Amino acid sequence: MIAVFGLALGVLAGLLLEPSIPIALQPYLPIAVVAALDAVFGGLRAHLDGVFDDKVFVISFVSNVLIAALIVYLGDQLGVGGQLSTGVIVVLGIRIFSNVAAIRRHVFHA
Amino acid sequence: MTHRDDRFRDDDHGAVEEPYTGLLTQVMTQTLDQDYLDVARRRGARVGDSPPGWRIGAVSVLLLFGLMVGLSALKTDQDQPLVAVERAKLIEQIENNHHKLDDQQANLASLSDEVATLQQRMTASMADDRKLAGQLTGLGVDAGTIAVTGPGVAVTVDDAGYSVGTSGGVILDTDLQLLANGLWQAGAEAVAVDGHRLTSLTAIRFAGEAITVDYRSLTPPYVIEAIGNPDTMPARLLETRAGQIWLDLEANFGIQFDVAAKEKVSIPGDARDRLLYAVAEAAS
Repeated sequence: MIAVFGLALGVLAGLLLEPSIPIALQPYLPIAVVAALDAVFGGLRAHLDGVFDDKVFVISFVSNVLIAALIVYLGDQLGVGGQLSTGVIVVLGIRIFSNVAAIRRHVFHA
Repeated sequence: MTHRDDRFRDDDHGAVEEPYTGLLTQVMTQTLDQDYLDVARRRGARVGDSPPGWRIGAVSVLLLFGLMVGLSALKTDQDQPLVAVERAKLIEQIENNHHKLDDQQANLASLSDEVATLQQRMTASMADDRKLAGQLTGLGVDAGTIAVTGPGVAVTVDDAGYSVGTSGGVILDTDLQLLANGLWQAGAEAVAVDGHRLTSLTAIRFAGEAITVDYRSLTPPYVIEAIGNPDTMPARLLETRAGQIWLDLEANFGIQFDVAAKEKVSIPGDARDRLLYAVAEAAS
């Protein structure tokens, strides 16, 4: 419950307060969001599996976001930023799909 | 090889270790972080939740996630009009350039039409030029300002060696005038006396003891050259009054009168090619 509340509060704060992100970080925001999405769905699935742990969630979230941004940053420096972004999104997308499928099985028992 | 053998053996004995699967399969199957399972296994030993500090961390992380989602949604939303404006501007540019291209193509078509017209006009005027040049040459030949060459006759006349009476035996200016007129009558196209072209302004007259042509004194014998048909001109000349009179002169006074057809006669032009006083009435 607290988790959902925190999430909603965050979205509202983002939409209403409109904090400015540094220009240098702007290109990495979408990929960071996708990476965070993976961590969040992983956490949700773990919660439904009954093995959720706050510490693991925090660490997986932070590391996911940082690694995704780092890979894209590295790709930008090497001149293959677009391709590396695509690769990261594909891997994270597959994971998100599988996690969502597992969550669906939990929720609908199907 | 040995690895695979091991694996088969493990399978036979109910393997504990997971067999190696492809990268894609691994990505798709191991979606749940192994850490959750590890931690859960450990926690299963000693029951209890993680410290409350981590719960706050988890909530703040979720807060951060929400913030990120909200921000990127906002940013995409803000970027959208910008992208649309840019797109519209590009489309407008394309259309403008299309119009410009159409205009220029129309311009090109009209210009090439113009070029074709001008070329036609130039061709026509070049033809005119050629015609005019031909006319000019013909007029020059007629007026005697242009040197001409062609077949013709050469008439050589000379005084008699002796004098008969007061003026017999000496060629007079009237005799030469008569001869020149006879040559014109016989079909001459150009006549010269001792290399002096006869034009409409050339006078043949006496000045003192000598005959002058175009105000230059000549001495006998005189050679009168004429361009015309070399086959018919001598006969036609003799048929004219001038021819008859000259035959008389030859017979009665011993004046030399030789008419010879020539393959090629060259007659110079008269240097004076413009009138000093007369002006065409239309031009004045």
